[in-house]
Amino acid sequence: MNKQDTAKGSEPMVQIKNLSKWYGDFQVLYNINVQINEGDCVVICGPSGSGKSTLLRCVNGLEDFREGDVIVEGVSVKEVSHNRGIYKLRSKIGMVFQHFELYPHLTALQNITLAPRKVSKVPGQETEKIAMELLERVGIPEQARKHPGEMSGGQQQRVAIARALAMKPDILLFDEPTSALDPEMIRDVLEVMVNLAKEGITMLVVTHEMGFARAVADGIIFMDEGKIVEQGDVESFFKNPASERAKDFVDRVLVHI
Amino acid sequence: MLRGILLTLQIGIISWIIALFAGILIGTFRTFPWRPLRVVGTAYVEIFRNIPLLVQLFFWYYAIPPLVGQWLNRMHNLGYYCAIFGLGIYTASRVAEHVRSGLNTVPTGQRFAGLSTGLSQLQLYRHVIIPYAIRVMIPPLTTEFLTVFKNSALAMTIGVLELTGMADRINARTWHGLESTTGAIAGYLIIGLSIITLMSLVESKLRIPGLIKR
Repeated sequence: MNKQDTAKGSEPMVQIKNLSKWYGDFQVLYNINVQINEGDCVVICGPSGSGKSTLLRCVNGLEDFREGDVIVEGVSVKEVSHNRGIYKLRSKIGMVFQHFELYPHLTALQNITLAPRKVSKVPGQETEKIAMELLERVGIPEQARKHPGEMSGGQQQRVAIARALAMKPDILLFDEPTSALDPEMIRDVLEVMVNLAKEGITMLVVTHEMGFARAVADGIIFMDEGKIVEQGDVESFFKNPASERAKDFVDRVLVHI
Repeated sequence: MLRGILLTLQIGIISWIIALFAGILIGTFRTFPWRPLRVVGTAYVEIFRNIPLLVQLFFWYYAIPPLVGQWLNRMHNLGYYCAIFGLGIYTASRVAEHVRSGLNTVPTGQRFAGLSTGLSQLQLYRHVIIPYAIRVMIPPLTTEFLTVFKNSALAMTIGVLELTGMADRINARTWHGLESTTGAIAGYLIIGLSIITLMSLVESKLRIPGLIKR
C-alpha cells in the first residue's frame, strides 16, 4: 500500500485543534485534538452521546464551534464558515449518514448528479456517465432509475456513498453508516468502505463495526462525554486499552461480536 | 350571471397566483437561517392574518386613495384591483404558514446531506427542500385555493359585481331570490369541484414512487 508515500512530508489533511463546542450552556466537546494524514482511515468509537457525530459535523462546518479550529487541507473552517468558502470546502469533503438522507423525490442517478450539476456546473450527460460508473463501483448499477423509497436500506446507503463520491472529494466522513441496516446489508456497505479505504482516500469513520476498524483503520479514537479518552493504534487499543472506560467499552463490544 | 362567474374566476385565479408566489417567498423567509428575513416574514404573516379580510379590503379601497392621490379614485374599476390585491396579500399570509409547516417537515438530515455536497443555502432550498415540502403542502394549499374563491364574494362590498354581487343585484331587481342564490351556489360548486379535480391530478402527478402508498 502506498499510504506512507502519499503522507510523507506534507502537512496533515485534517487538523482538529483545541476544539470545544457548547449547545447553550452545555459543553459537548472538550478540547479535541486530532490529526489525520492523507490516505489514512481513522475510526471514531465510543458510547452514544459522546460527541462523535458532532465532532464529525464540525469538520465540514455543518455545526459551528466556539473555541479552537479545524484545518482542512490548509483551510480554516472557522474562517470560511461565514462566507462562501465553506461551500467550496464542503464540496471537497463527502459525507455519509446513518439514515442515508437520499433525496426522496429524485432517482438514484439524480441524487448522485445533483451536486456535480449545480455546484461544479458539469454538463448533464457527463455527470450521468460519472454517476453510472459510481453506481457500478458500489455494485448497484441496476438501481439507477429507482427512487430511494423503492430500494433496500443497503442499496440506499450505497447510493449515498456514490453521491458522496460524485464530487471527487479528498476526504470522506462516515457517520455510523451501518447502524440503521440489517446484518446482511451491513456487509455490502462495509465491503464498499473497505475498498475505498484500500484505494487510499482519507476517511474519518464513526462506527461500532470493530471488525472494520481492525481490518482497515490506521488509527482509532475513543470518545466519552465529549472528550477523547484514547487515541492511537487499533491493535493496541483492543489488546490493552489504557483507561478503565475504554477497557470496559472494548470488553462489551468484543463480547458482542 | 355568467359575467359574475367569469369575474369571480378572474379575481380568484389572479389573487391565487399572487398569494402563491408571495406566500412561498414569505414562508421560506420564516424558515431561513438568517434572522432579518425571518423577522420580515413573521411581521408580514402576523399583520395580514390578524386583520379581518373585509377590513383589509375596505382599507385598500377607502384609505389608500386619499393617501396616494385622488387619481386612483377616478380609475373606473378600482374595486376590482383592490379585491385582487387585497385577497392576494391576505391569502399569502395563510399560504406562508402552510409553506412554513411544509418546509419544517423536511428532516435536518436532508439539509445536512445537501450542504455536505457543497450546495449553497439557495440551491438547497431550490433543489432539495422545496420540492420535497411542496408535496406535503398540496392538501392544505388546495383548501386555500378553494377559500380564495369563497372569500372573493367579499369583493361585492367594494362594488365589484362578481358572482355574489351579481346574484344580489338580480334579486334586488327581479325579486327572484331563489333562482339568483341557487345560481350563485351552482357557480361556486362548479368552480370548487373543478379545482379539486385539478389539484388531485397535480397530487398524483407529483407523487414520489415508493414513498407514500395509497
